[in-house]
Amino acid sequence: MKEVKLFLGPQHPGMHGNYSVHMYVDGDIIEKARPTPGFLHRGFEKLMERRHWMGNLALIPRICVPEPDINEFVYAQGIEMLAGIEVPEKAHWIRMLVLEMARVMVHLMSLGFIGGPTGMYTATYWAIAQRDLILDLFEELCGARVYHMYIVPGGVRKDLPEGFTDRVLAMMDELEVKIPEYEELILKHPIIHARTKDNIMLPAEVVWELGVTGIGMRSATGEENDLRKVMPYAKYDQVEFEVPTATYSDALTRLNLKVREMYQCISIIRQVIDKMPSEGPVNVPVSTGNALRWTVPAGMVYSAVESSRGEYGYFIVSDGKEMPYRIAVRGASFPQGLLGIEKYLKGHRIDDASLWMDTMGVCSPEIDR
Amino acid sequence: MNKIINEIKIALEPLKIETPALRQIAVVVKPDAIHNSLAYFRQKGFTQLSIVTCIDWIKESELELVYIVLSWTEGIYIQLRARIDREKPVMVTATDIFPGARYYEREVHEFFGVDFLGNEDAAKPLFLELWDDIPPLRKDFDPQAYSDSKFPMRERGNEFVSEFGGNK
Amino acid sequence: MVLDKKDDRNVWEKIGDYFSANSIWMKWYCTGCGAIEMPPTMTSRFDMERLGMGPMATPRQADVLLITGYLSTKTLRRVIYSYEQMNSPRFIVAFGSCTINGGIYYDSYATIGRLDKYLPVDLYISGCMPRPETIMNGFSGLIEMIKKGEAKGWKHYQENYEWYKKNQLDSLGKIIIEDEFHE
Repeated sequence: MKEVKLFLGPQHPGMHGNYSVHMYVDGDIIEKARPTPGFLHRGFEKLMERRHWMGNLALIPRICVPEPDINEFVYAQGIEMLAGIEVPEKAHWIRMLVLEMARVMVHLMSLGFIGGPTGMYTATYWAIAQRDLILDLFEELCGARVYHMYIVPGGVRKDLPEGFTDRVLAMMDELEVKIPEYEELILKHPIIHARTKDNIMLPAEVVWELGVTGIGMRSATGEENDLRKVMPYAKYDQVEFEVPTATYSDALTRLNLKVREMYQCISIIRQVIDKMPSEGPVNVPVSTGNALRWTVPAGMVYSAVESSRGEYGYFIVSDGKEMPYRIAVRGASFPQGLLGIEKYLKGHRIDDASLWMDTMGVCSPEIDR
Repeated sequence: MNKIINEIKIALEPLKIETPALRQIAVVVKPDAIHNSLAYFRQKGFTQLSIVTCIDWIKESELELVYIVLSWTEGIYIQLRARIDREKPVMVTATDIFPGARYYEREVHEFFGVDFLGNEDAAKPLFLELWDDIPPLRKDFDPQAYSDSKFPMRERGNEFVSEFGGNK
Repeated sequence: MVLDKKDDRNVWEKIGDYFSANSIWMKWYCTGCGAIEMPPTMTSRFDMERLGMGPMATPRQADVLLITGYLSTKTLRRVIYSYEQMNSPRFIVAFGSCTINGGIYYDSYATIGRLDKYLPVDLYISGCMPRPETIMNGFSGLIEMIKKGEAKGWKHYQENYEWYKKNQLDSLGKIIIEDEFHE
């Protein structure tokens, strides 16, 4: 049989971001697939070595574009581990609030972008508009819609505005009414069922081979492997929540897990607002004097967080000077975006490549950096 | 955690072992002991390889490879480090223990120039295209000089103000 | 940047520009990090379709190419390739401060500094990144420019083709890559 070389290229309506998959196809079935990253490469790891520790705060959110708060949190946590800084109590609760709101936004966006691979654009129009109302809350909190620069080493930048928690609770009430509507539109739709049920399954023994974390791992193995439960950071051991799992991992189950995680996020946000102390300092001054001459003690540490796509971490190396010596970024979608596409798409159809990227969670800027 | 540290000391005999943070253990070994150490950790329940990366110590003329593994049952990170030579960096591949290391090693080859024996894909370019200089993440590469020579910037001058008689 | 605002169209071109200004097809290509504000602009909150603009999948039938943010060298080769596949009249709108002077990645070895040495730009929208209201403002400005005949980037590209090509080859080396599959 003759094979045809095909580019599921960087410019394609069904592709997530600027990413490309090169494949050899026979009819409609993929024989070999090769991922091609590098279209969004900016050389972050080199740029971060050339700016001061405080100056990096403006550069860091741009590594993972849909969910920028995890970058700031991981950087701040790493510096606090190296320098031995204690963050005040209210700052921990505010950081949890911001992280969970960001997780809700990213799950809404990835449920909405199911329109690209399957052709059902109503989901996109509804979910992106709903996400925009949460971006309004972020704009009130820190002044910018997308790149917040709010979590800094030592705490958070400023206290919450007056009446902010009431508006967040009102938004959570509205989400609890709207999410069942999205669930009925997306998960019970006959077209989406036909495309995703029993399609692109991930057996449990492949999970440790690929090194996948996040929803892919939890939907195939059935274990609660979530960094918020196994290694709790920032007061996650004082709120009660469940981690949804499954043992049969096809594309429809993974979408279902995203909806159930959104309900857990709403419950965590309600508990955080309930337990947060109403007064107290929100940050600790870290540098005595000039912030541009601030140095961090020497050492090497790895700090990680559970993002919506899996384990996301920075490996920070400091040699006691004013600029970092080396920072290595572990993108959460590295295993499923690179090795998963090479080993796993053989025998599936061309349109399943994009569906794999949407349900497992692939975000192309954090692969390329 | 002390139990695990004692077991590592007996089994691997590392050069140095320390705890940089809560729930993290850093183990420094010789480069030819990396393969056995990774097999030991995999068998002990550390089933996930988080990242393979490299640090360039230019003053001592050495490269340091770092492997970070995680155990979901214990909740502990282990940093496994080894120093290799900077002029001819060579290391045995880890893909027979952790298959997910293939693309990490390809990235370390592209950005630092380390050869991995046994990984036949490692020499193919992944992120950069038609690259014609030294591996970019080494400390003797200057990105600003490269960028100014290839991608010119806008000159600061008065291209449009002169018709209004503004300052030159 | 193309600066002369003389209107030297004939009658048929004026009629054609009036019709094409009211129905603009935008090519669907997210080139950089500014593309995260494109879905909110296109969907139901800040609806772009009431201005007359809609998305189009293929470059052969599109009018406007949006460069949303920075361009790495790998993407620039594909952008040049697909810009030359579009039919004239075709327009380019550049978002963000990375296209003007390199932006926040000014000393990076993989991103370009100045877009209008490689492709002719008709309209710049500033910001990092621009809000959806700013983008809609920019698009209404583009519609006015097309009606008055000021968006002449494509003619400039045809007349000064050697200058643009020399700049592209100096910075990139080669534009069309043969060995993409690495086999």
